[in-house]
Amino acid sequence: MAINTLNHVKKKPFYQSLPWIGPAIVVIALFVLWPAIEMFTTSFRYVNQAGQIRGWTGISNYQTLFTNSDLPGVLLRTGVWVIGVVLISVLISLPLAQMLHQKFVGRRIVRYCLIVPWAASVVMTAISWRWMLDSYYGIFNRIAQDLGFINQPYAWLGSPNIAFGWLMLVAVFVSVPFTTYVIIAGLSTIPEEILEAAKVDGANDWKRYWEIIFPLLRPALLIGIVINLINVFNSFPVIWAITQGGPGSSTDTTTTMAYKIAFKTSDIGQSASLATLNFLIILVFIGLFLRVNSRNAQKNK
Amino acid sequence: MKKIGKKIGLLSSVVLAATAVLAAPSHAASSITLVAADYDGHGATQAFWNDLAKTFQAANADIKVNVQIVNWNDINQKVATLVSTGQVPDIVNDNLYSGRAAAGLLYKVSDVLPASVVDNIIPAFLNNSTYNGVPYAVPDLASARALFYNKDILTKAGIANPPTTWAELIAAEKAIKAKVPGVYPYAIPLGPEEAQAEFAIWAGGNGGQYYTNGKWTVNSTANIKAAAFLKSQAASGYTEPHPEQCDRTKCAQALFAAGKAAFIDGAIFFPAWLKANGGSGINYGVGAFPHNEGKNAITLGVQDYFSFFNGNKNATSIGKFMSYFFQPGNYANFLKATGGFIPATKDAGAAAAKDPVLGPFIKLLPNAVFYPGTVATWGTVQGAIQQKIGGIITGSPSGVLSDIQATALKAKA
Repeated sequence: MAINTLNHVKKKPFYQSLPWIGPAIVVIALFVLWPAIEMFTTSFRYVNQAGQIRGWTGISNYQTLFTNSDLPGVLLRTGVWVIGVVLISVLISLPLAQMLHQKFVGRRIVRYCLIVPWAASVVMTAISWRWMLDSYYGIFNRIAQDLGFINQPYAWLGSPNIAFGWLMLVAVFVSVPFTTYVIIAGLSTIPEEILEAAKVDGANDWKRYWEIIFPLLRPALLIGIVINLINVFNSFPVIWAITQGGPGSSTDTTTTMAYKIAFKTSDIGQSASLATLNFLIILVFIGLFLRVNSRNAQKNK
Repeated sequence: MKKIGKKIGLLSSVVLAATAVLAAPSHAASSITLVAADYDGHGATQAFWNDLAKTFQAANADIKVNVQIVNWNDINQKVATLVSTGQVPDIVNDNLYSGRAAAGLLYKVSDVLPASVVDNIIPAFLNNSTYNGVPYAVPDLASARALFYNKDILTKAGIANPPTTWAELIAAEKAIKAKVPGVYPYAIPLGPEEAQAEFAIWAGGNGGQYYTNGKWTVNSTANIKAAAFLKSQAASGYTEPHPEQCDRTKCAQALFAAGKAAFIDGAIFFPAWLKANGGSGINYGVGAFPHNEGKNAITLGVQDYFSFFNGNKNATSIGKFMSYFFQPGNYANFLKATGGFIPATKDAGAAAAKDPVLGPFIKLLPNAVFYPGTVATWGTVQGAIQQKIGGIITGSPSGVLSDIQATALKAKA
């Protein structure tokens, strides 16, 4: 294990660093800690429909949440959503990044194109997809009918499971650019000499990829995966703009469900308890992120 | 370098603190805030309230009126957020009030409005604006629903008169499907936008309601039967595909405007909407909803409210402004801006009864079922219906209704 280089620097008293990190601490306290504490305390409070806090209720909000008949399905779907979207994004991004790492005419333009879904507002993207998939006016139906694949308009968002599949596809579409760019960044850190050396030693392309490129790519890939896990788990606009999690809760994840409980059925307390649950899950992901990060930092020493 | 860093640090803290101070709401004693729903979506409601505030302020220089117009999808949430963050508004114009009354947030109507204004409100509407028997809101306007049918499609299908019973409806739908291809017989929107209205009409046609004699009856036998009927309508292909995903405006009304649906439940403002949204060529007729054999024809009456919050102790200013609003000339402008609803005042109502468009709807009102708006938890139940009722098409009608009933029983004010 490498020696931590910071140990060589003489430690200065904590307060001397305050002017530097003070503003960041203030921002974090105001915009992260305080809301999180409010959320946590609200989950033990009774908030009436009109929005007034009416005292403590112990764990009754959690009891209501865990007896909510929608919860098991929503949790299962959230798992499928997070794992599915991240996995598919990575599987698409790996070869895509490899391709964009090659030198070819027009590479810059292709790379720019890839940024578009990332740069565009997610809500805008999601609404565009909703209209493309619309059963009465959507372009998908138009094309499929003109080409003779179907005789009458098909409801692409018809059954909940198929609709959820489309939601995942849109989420993948939105996450692929970021993932690809993280991998491209990783690829550009791999020294050419190593690959040349491997070539001289007679390793074929496939072997070079799995034995050299992929292992060296792991740090970048892991960070890409963990950041994606967090983003996809929190993803609200894709689902909200396309199906609003409906009908019922059949395309909800925990994020949209928390919103609906709070604002459609006006149960702020129960919503806060679900938000707390979400927060715990996110904490696990962040823990993962920090571990991956520090492991990478140590390896780079 | 170090010094600069310190300065930046200090500066940022100061800026942050200053922002926090600036963001705090300020309430002058003579200013009242109105949060009102956007009825037309094209700026007419906004223009009306801005003008009214302006002319009112010209006569009452000591009272400032802040106007906030919010769209229907967000207004309940906006009001709840304002209340929970301590920025209590003074006047709210939307579709809920009893939950707020139960929470002690509202003035009684009699504490705010002079008797002359209250006496001019149509009693039936005022009676729907009570909590524990005491008026806590005043109606701003009302609407009723009726069956709209495309006369040309009915003629093509050889149907002389619009159906009055469910059996006649099925016969008519069969004929339309057979003779007018490319047309969905009945556009039934059970998507979240307005599903509580659509289901209330079908349930009402079978003698069912959400709330009966002081008890929630969402999963009553009559309602379950009505839900099963809707499910069979969809399964037989008499509706647009997937009614559970069809929202009222963008889906059902758009289909009717495009001549692709023969029947639809339309509100009083639907003719105006048709004209503005490409349906001016539709040759439509208006009639009563079909009902199940042995039950009565009904319509759904819907009224919206003004509720007056007591948080800022502005009773006098609110009273002055609302009295100004209900002056006949101003109120007539409001009706015009909002696009052709049934008036809530006696004098305007008498005039509207003679109106060729409004008259038939006003005649339907004695048979109207209303939402249980006087029940404090109606807001929660309405949200649950909007989100879940579509499930009767994809799943079990009794299961879905029982689920909503359970939500209604558990809901706390």
